[in-house]
Amino acid sequence: MADTTGNFDFLVKYDDRVAHLARQAEAYVHSDPDSALFKLRLMVETMARTLVDMEAPHLVDSDLTVMLRSLQRSGLLGRREADEMHAIRRDGNAAVHGYDSTTPTAMRRLVDAWRISRWYARMVKRGAKVDPPPFKPPPAPAQGAGQRAARAKAEVLEEAVEARRDRTRAALLLFGQDDDIKAMRWRLRGELRALEFVAVAAGEPIVDADFVALVMAMDLEQILEHPSWGRSSQEAKASVEQQFEAFKGAHADAEQEYLLERASLAREARSTEH
Amino acid sequence: MSGELDLATTWFLAARTMACGGEKISIAEEAAAGLFARAILGLDEESCIAAKSKEHMQSLTLIDCMSMAAKLPRGTADQVMAGVMMIAYSAASMQPLQVRWASMLASAMDMTEDRFQRCCVNARVISSMLPHEQEAVGG
Repeated sequence: MADTTGNFDFLVKYDDRVAHLARQAEAYVHSDPDSALFKLRLMVETMARTLVDMEAPHLVDSDLTVMLRSLQRSGLLGRREADEMHAIRRDGNAAVHGYDSTTPTAMRRLVDAWRISRWYARMVKRGAKVDPPPFKPPPAPAQGAGQRAARAKAEVLEEAVEARRDRTRAALLLFGQDDDIKAMRWRLRGELRALEFVAVAAGEPIVDADFVALVMAMDLEQILEHPSWGRSSQEAKASVEQQFEAFKGAHADAEQEYLLERASLAREARSTEH
Repeated sequence: MSGELDLATTWFLAARTMACGGEKISIAEEAAAGLFARAILGLDEESCIAAKSKEHMQSLTLIDCMSMAAKLPRGTADQVMAGVMMIAYSAASMQPLQVRWASMLASAMDMTEDRFQRCCVNARVISSMLPHEQEAVGG
């Protein structure tokens, strides 16, 4: 294994297993990006398991997606850390499933892992002052012109895909990344309270809160078989399933295209080595 | 504003208000709103992003939202109402301000009690189907 830059040395005193995986990933980032991504995926899984063990021990044997969801629901895992962990999960899974990866992909995930590590250290040792030096990219070995060209193409592809994913994420968020949600919540609740006074004076509301609560308490099966709403709710379910699958399918196709293009660039880079 | 941007604006303002009317904005509520816009309302990424831009959203009030909701065709209005109720169902609770918002929106859409109930039932069905957006589209 090549020497590492010491980016993850600070992590040893908080979790030496996680630090070891990170250092391995760092050492492989240029020579074997697939292995680097695999190690990072394992690192994230180890982190998630440790945190879940603290918060919801019954979920400790679940898969990574379930553990991350549980950590987000508990409020322990913020959106940014969750995004980064999911990015490592996704690229690690692709590497495990045989899609060739490139160094630019592994390097991006390594930086993500370094950021998550700082947060993780603060989580496992509350109140700890975690202030590692800035991330230093592991130096690249000497490369021929062919390898440099292949790497430049991989960088361009990676930039384009990250930009596309950022747009997708921005479109899906209820609030923007930079929105002051607290201020927005305060303003909207203020407006709602003001309208409440007007509405009370104006008359009866259409919404029956008891009905809403009843539907909330009902099992899905009860709703789908209900004599009055069963048919329309079955139709709604089928239609939503279809629309949602079409949306997921379009996204999955785009991701698949990216993985194939990336694999082809990885092969191109390898062929220039010989 | 274009029709698509109008719908995106109405949806995100109505959805944010519903989420803000509750005690705490949950991950489930956040996650459901965007997927609903893209998959069910069929809005494109550009409209969703443009509708949420600070400059665009900042000047709008709930009265504007209700006024835009009143102009929606009946089928689209029903979808928006189902989506708004889905947010409450995703969080598995509904606070008094949220009940009031749903009611005011229903009035703006000229909805009968029966129509509202159908939206409500559909919302419950949909809320059980939308997974987390990070899982669906990657982090």
